[in-house]
Amino acid sequence: MTQAEIKLCSLLLQEHFGEIVEKIGVHLIRTGSQPLRVIAHDTGTSLDQVKKALCVLIQHNLVIYQVHKRGVVEYEAQCSRVLRMLRYPRYIYTAKTLYSDTGELIVEELLLNGKMTMSAVVKKVADRLTETMEDGKTMDYAEVSNTFMRLADTHFVQRCPWVPATENSDPGPLPPAPILVISEKDMYLVPKLSLIGKGKRRRSSDEDATGEPKAKRTKHSTDNKEPIPDDGIYWQANLDRFHQHFRDQAIVSAVANRMDQTSSEIVRTMLRMSEITTPSAAPFTQPLSSNEIFRSLPVGYNISKQVLDQYLTLLADDPLEFVGKSGDSGGGMYVINLHKALGSLATATLESVVQERFGSRCARIFRLVLQKKHLEQKQVEDLAMIPAKEAKDMLYKMLSGNFISLQEIPKTP
Amino acid sequence: KMKGSDNQEKLVYQIIEDAGNKGIWSRDIRYKSNLPLTEINKILKNLESKKLIKAVKSVAASKKKVYMLYNLQPDRSVTGGAWYSDQDFESEFVEVLNQQCFKFLQTKAETARESKQNPMIQRNSSFASSHEVWKYICELGISKVELSMEDIETILNTLIYDGKVEMTIIAAKEGTVGSVDGHMKLYRAVNPIIPPTGLVRAPCGLCPVFDDCHEGGEISPSNCIYMTEWLEF
Repeated sequence: MTQAEIKLCSLLLQEHFGEIVEKIGVHLIRTGSQPLRVIAHDTGTSLDQVKKALCVLIQHNLVIYQVHKRGVVEYEAQCSRVLRMLRYPRYIYTAKTLYSDTGELIVEELLLNGKMTMSAVVKKVADRLTETMEDGKTMDYAEVSNTFMRLADTHFVQRCPWVPATENSDPGPLPPAPILVISEKDMYLVPKLSLIGKGKRRRSSDEDATGEPKAKRTKHSTDNKEPIPDDGIYWQANLDRFHQHFRDQAIVSAVANRMDQTSSEIVRTMLRMSEITTPSAAPFTQPLSSNEIFRSLPVGYNISKQVLDQYLTLLADDPLEFVGKSGDSGGGMYVINLHKALGSLATATLESVVQERFGSRCARIFRLVLQKKHLEQKQVEDLAMIPAKEAKDMLYKMLSGNFISLQEIPKTP
Repeated sequence: KMKGSDNQEKLVYQIIEDAGNKGIWSRDIRYKSNLPLTEINKILKNLESKKLIKAVKSVAASKKKVYMLYNLQPDRSVTGGAWYSDQDFESEFVEVLNQQCFKFLQTKAETARESKQNPMIQRNSSFASSHEVWKYICELGISKVELSMEDIETILNTLIYDGKVEMTIIAAKEGTVGSVDGHMKLYRAVNPIIPPTGLVRAPCGLCPVFDDCHEGGEISPSNCIYMTEWLEF
């Protein structure tokens, strides 16, 4: 981690959680993984305070713990996760655009509290929304639950890993820190709750294992005096899904800029169909048939199947190569070339920086060198059609700004 | 004696002939023939007066003179081609051509878009072959020198490096107007795929003292005048 990143993390932790958490957090970022007593000793804070600070950090997924051999538990800070806090407003805004105010508040509550049970979220959000509504109107729990379930279905919120329920009644000696697990299929499973009064106890987890954050328990016991129907089932915001959404938005707007509105809508439809079926790091989406795409186009989008096929062919043939054709069944199988798309977007961003910083002629040289990989001074002048003196000046400017590098090769005899 | 000098002349002439239309520098003639400099110079003067060879100034090094046979057209690498007039690179001329080609392609793309035909036709009509562009430029008459299709292609390539134009190569039947070796190059004006990126829209992306800026220093974000100005929109 660079000095600047550490300073930024320090400021973020301070602003959100206060001095003590900041001290512990920054110490862990600087030193890497450490056990509890060493942290207390090195930072000169009392053991009690260190525990509280770690609770807060773990609650917000900023620190993870691992049990090492000989039963030593070490805590490690995730600097990149701390930096993600800068994006909270953007995540909340995205939820707002997709699921309106209800969605916005749900995501906001989850981000501010780290982990929460669904019933707590629904209650809190319903209360907040009721406050902003006209006199006499209230927000129904059912509507908030509905939005919550839609967020879970589209993977924007996910369940937190939990301690698996043990079969035998006598678990034996407890491990020094609970091992939390979660399976793929349970991650977005919404518990069946009827949140208007009574609910059913769905699943109870081993809450009494040592190391379970005390802060979480005290918060929930003061919130509801009645038994919580989904106690132990905690939810958190799924940041990767938001990142995937941003990626999709960038791809769609690139297609809109290069081609036209209709093409970008088609690409948006294809991405929406692949949202949940394709892992976020995959190079291609799953192949989608032209028939499927036609059925999934947004309602009211009146283009005929024939026209859709034409657009798909054009997208597949375009030099951008964002869309590829992978087969002919079902009217034509098409994929979105995610890695290529991201690469092109990254290149365009670099070129934009060079253009704004150094001017369009420098940008021309930069693009030229980017395409041809290696060029001699003379070749740059000739291909870019820029007089020798100016070309030399521009190359050196970019060289000193570290945008271009120079390599000497011995002349072949 | 006469025979000797004739042989030497013949040798030098041969060397110059072998150099074709790229010409050869007098020093290189000396190396190849192993004759002393004074002899070379005498022979060259002789051949020049007999109008068998000529000297051409090379654009690569303005002091250098290369010799070639009298009736040969000097190669482009020597004269610089259409873009050089008397050793000077005509950057203004190149710039004008660049803009004109782009305008032509832009108009073509816009007409195609507005025609509201089916997407296939729209796309195909937004392309122009290098031949089409060449014809347009010739008809404009803005060039005093005659430009070849390859010249226009080098201009169109600079538009590609500007990110304003994209090129596709298609197979074309031999004999189709504008095709070379069974291929044709098509060009189309395009929009950039992203707007200027976030970093350069904030003052920091363009700041000349970016590397010296840090909190607590003389140059810092809190006392940055660019930042203050920018935030006061």
